[in-house]
Amino acid sequence: MEALLIALIAGIGAGGLYAMLGSGIVIAFRGSGVINFGHGAVAGYTAYSFDELRETGSLYLPWFDPIPEFGFLKTLKLNNIPVRIDIFDNVAFDNKPNLALTIFICLVMSAFLGLLMHFLVFRPLRNSPILGKVIGSIGVFLYLSSMIVVNFGGQNRGDEGFSGFNNTAEPVRNFLGLGGTIPRSNFYLFGAAILMAVIIWGLYRFTKFGIATRAAEENEKGAALLGYSPQFLAGANWVLASITAGIAGILFLHKTQPAQIALFVVGGLGAALFGNLTSIPGATLGGLFLGMIAGGGVELTTNDWWPEILPGEGVRNFMPLLLIIVVLYLRGDKLPIRGSISIGRQPRAPSTNNVTIGVIGAVGIALMLSNIFVSKWESILTTTLIAIVFMYSLTVLVGFLGQISLVQWSISGLAAYTMIRLMADGTKIRDTDFALNTGWGWPTILAFFGAIVVAVICGLLIGLPALRIRGVQLAVVTIAAVIAIENLLLRNPPLMGDGSVSVNPTPKPSWFGQYVGGFNPDTARNDYWKFSLFLIITAALLGIAVANLRRGQIGRRFLAIRANERAASAAGINVANMKLLGFGISSGIAAIAGCLLAYKLPGLQETQFEVFGGLALLAFVYLGGITTIWGAIVGGCLMAGGLLPEFLGVHFESIDKGLINAVGAIGLIVNAKVTNGEGIALLQTDLVKNTLTALRRPPDDTANTSNDEEAVV
Amino acid sequence: MTNILEAKDLTVTFGGLNACDHVDLEVPTGKFVGLIGPNGAGKTTFIDAITGYVPTSAGNAIFDGSDIGELKPHERAQSGLVRTFQSLELFEDLSVRDNLLVAAYPTKWYTFLADMFHLSSKNSEIEERVDWALEIMGLSDASDSMPTDLSHGRRKLVGVARALAAKPKLILLDEPAAGLDTSESQILGGHLREFLNHDMSVFLIDHDMGLVLSVCDYIYVLDFGKIIAAGTPAEIRESSAVKAAYLGEQAGEIQAQEGERMRTQQQGQEAEK
Ligand SMILES: Nc1ncnc2c1ncn2[C@@H]1O[C@H](COP(=O)(O)OP(=O)(O)O)[C@@H](O)[C@H]1O
Ligand SMILES: [Mg+2]
Repeated sequence: MEALLIALIAGIGAGGLYAMLGSGIVIAFRGSGVINFGHGAVAGYTAYSFDELRETGSLYLPWFDPIPEFGFLKTLKLNNIPVRIDIFDNVAFDNKPNLALTIFICLVMSAFLGLLMHFLVFRPLRNSPILGKVIGSIGVFLYLSSMIVVNFGGQNRGDEGFSGFNNTAEPVRNFLGLGGTIPRSNFYLFGAAILMAVIIWGLYRFTKFGIATRAAEENEKGAALLGYSPQFLAGANWVLASITAGIAGILFLHKTQPAQIALFVVGGLGAALFGNLTSIPGATLGGLFLGMIAGGGVELTTNDWWPEILPGEGVRNFMPLLLIIVVLYLRGDKLPIRGSISIGRQPRAPSTNNVTIGVIGAVGIALMLSNIFVSKWESILTTTLIAIVFMYSLTVLVGFLGQISLVQWSISGLAAYTMIRLMADGTKIRDTDFALNTGWGWPTILAFFGAIVVAVICGLLIGLPALRIRGVQLAVVTIAAVIAIENLLLRNPPLMGDGSVSVNPTPKPSWFGQYVGGFNPDTARNDYWKFSLFLIITAALLGIAVANLRRGQIGRRFLAIRANERAASAAGINVANMKLLGFGISSGIAAIAGCLLAYKLPGLQETQFEVFGGLALLAFVYLGGITTIWGAIVGGCLMAGGLLPEFLGVHFESIDKGLINAVGAIGLIVNAKVTNGEGIALLQTDLVKNTLTALRRPPDDTANTSNDEEAVV
Repeated sequence: MTNILEAKDLTVTFGGLNACDHVDLEVPTGKFVGLIGPNGAGKTTFIDAITGYVPTSAGNAIFDGSDIGELKPHERAQSGLVRTFQSLELFEDLSVRDNLLVAAYPTKWYTFLADMFHLSSKNSEIEERVDWALEIMGLSDASDSMPTDLSHGRRKLVGVARALAAKPKLILLDEPAAGLDTSESQILGGHLREFLNHDMSVFLIDHDMGLVLSVCDYIYVLDFGKIIAAGTPAEIRESSAVKAAYLGEQAGEIQAQEGERMRTQQQGQEAEK
């Protein structure tokens, strides 16, 4: 009992971080009406900047040098865009730069990030549909996380913290006579969160700026009367929000790794929702509460009676999801929608006619390529094809049905892990490098479909909240579900086998006696020919199926629901059933992609299905075009590991994966603004179509062509 | 004679305001019934209540012989009680024809499988019905257009055509003529009575008194959520209560202002209660 109380109290440490992040999310929401999924990434980038500045004296600006330095370009010695600024000289272990100055510089950096977000992302997207805004903030998440990899290497850091926040500080013993110890810094973090809340609360309450912000929330004209333009207020609030994120990142650095801080945004979102997205004290309370129940929950798992199948980390990471679901369930309908939000036009989703011809053509080309390619190319081709298959799942759910789910990649992971578990029969798969994997020893095909069934059931469960909530709230639930699934279901040795916390080896997949997989343990080498063929057929068939779905009655119904749920139900559509159907179909496709990935890799790594991977996939399918299968195909070719970057890599110089993701994130944001998510695929089909019609028809007749719904392939 | 729809004592309350106040109303099978009343009288709310879009606080709605109070909106639509909306509520990403097809085709849980393999065959009866609905609303030439490419009035007609395509037993039209230009109004007005020849009854709300008086068999008048008069068009034309509450609004500015004042007074009283 006392141990539980201690754990609950100690939870105010992590709770302080959630509280600070939650407050920042509230600030940004009040200023602009956007829920920023990238808020944690701002904290993470600042935390890395801080650590780097203290250890090396250099500050890295949040961008990369876009002028490539390879091949003959190297010899030109171009005057490149500055990225690194050396601020402090002679930094050494015992000669660290001035702490206050370091913090100040880093917070200026955060403020700068806030300005960039305002001017480059959210201001341009202010009239976009909700999907566009969510995508914009995911673009921020992805971009900053990628820049962390590019500029700082993304490795863990050993920062011990400073003064009261020092890891090695003497812990508080026997607090309130309860025995046990609590790290001293937990109390400081708690204090910092409270102090921050009081300051921000006072700022909104008593300054003219705060009053104007509150006025703008009600009605943007109101703020104008007080002499502030709404866009100025939005920008100022973005800066303020980013500074609070930076403070949170720096203060929490000693507790965790900067690479993880971006993910704490999920707890921050829970806290912000607890505060109804508008109340700073509410968000602070919510964050502290969340930290405490997470700490208490983990403590419970250490008991003997606790079922082993629910691991402690899983419980900790499940808590934000639980809080979010409870809050949304209790007052989902009453959450504020800020005054100025306009429901912009949805991206067009034309049905793909001539689809069969097109796909068969694509298959033919792919087949030819795979025959020409050497084995490295086949590996790239299979990566691309698996990504395409996964992206179809987003085409259906996000593109057709308009449900912004960020969890589909976790569904893939769940299917992959389940399949491995079902297939494994306890024989050692490799001699040395992998753990023995036990399971039910099902045949390949049975395990494949068994995994899909499990994944679809899980997908339907996640779809349940979508019956009550929509838009960005669904995105919040699903991003929390990603963390929960990863830690509760995947990293769970009793459930998924001993390899699930390191490397989960894939048993030999064989369909109808043929080996379909990347690494063949029998021949001990990559054995891709049949696997490529298998993937090409799967990707082609699924592509045709998805395109057919769009042309058919269900596709029409999905689009009707995406456009207008009220009118859809008046047309006799059972909206709830259709949404669940969409989640089911999408989860099934995602599950297939996950199983195929398991076939390809000798073993699945715990990091494979993290938030970041799923968001990167979403980014690239959105860039390609979220509403058509062609978008998925283009997206699969563009993404990191896909055909295009690898082609460039082989023939010029290999490109850092982080850089590709950063470029993808920029493309994503630009695409949200320029094509409204219709993406490259639709942009170029439009181009082809307009050229063709211009050639075919006399010039005076071109006015009608925009009515033409068919996509020319 | 049977009634396709009966509202008994139907009441809808928003806060303190009774938007529908113990409304009793019948639509006989195969007849054309109108509902008129000034702005804010509760006409749309009545349709919302009948079709399940707002909860009722008292009363029943009986459709085709059974109480539909427990049914969800889509279930009511599937059972043949189909409405249109006063505002444009189209599926903007679907072509005009697809807008109608969505409402016209029923689906089963396994339809998605048939769709994926492109096996769903066209049903000629349904396709013909869709063609008919497009034609009667003068939209045949716009069949493959997107709604956003049409004029406001034609978009409203798409809404009516979509309801017709659903093969309703009773179609509830909420101000279909509002916002239509003269030629569009003529298309609509000229065909409204034809609806009755296709196994349906019609319930019409509209502001255009000329239209309502000319097409309806029977008319109800709603004011402040209460039915204040009911009768044949001839009776309604003569009714003094109707003149005071509604026709007066059109007859002269002064009377309209009086009406407005009375309404605010009454709302004030409601609020005090
Ligand atoms: N969802 C709602 N919440 C609160 N009041 C409403 C709502 N819908 C309608 N009302 C009120 O109910 C009354 C009737 O509205 P409505 O049915 O739209 O009138 P009509 O269609 O006859 O013009 C109006 O006073 C309106 O303000
Ligand atoms: Mg109305």
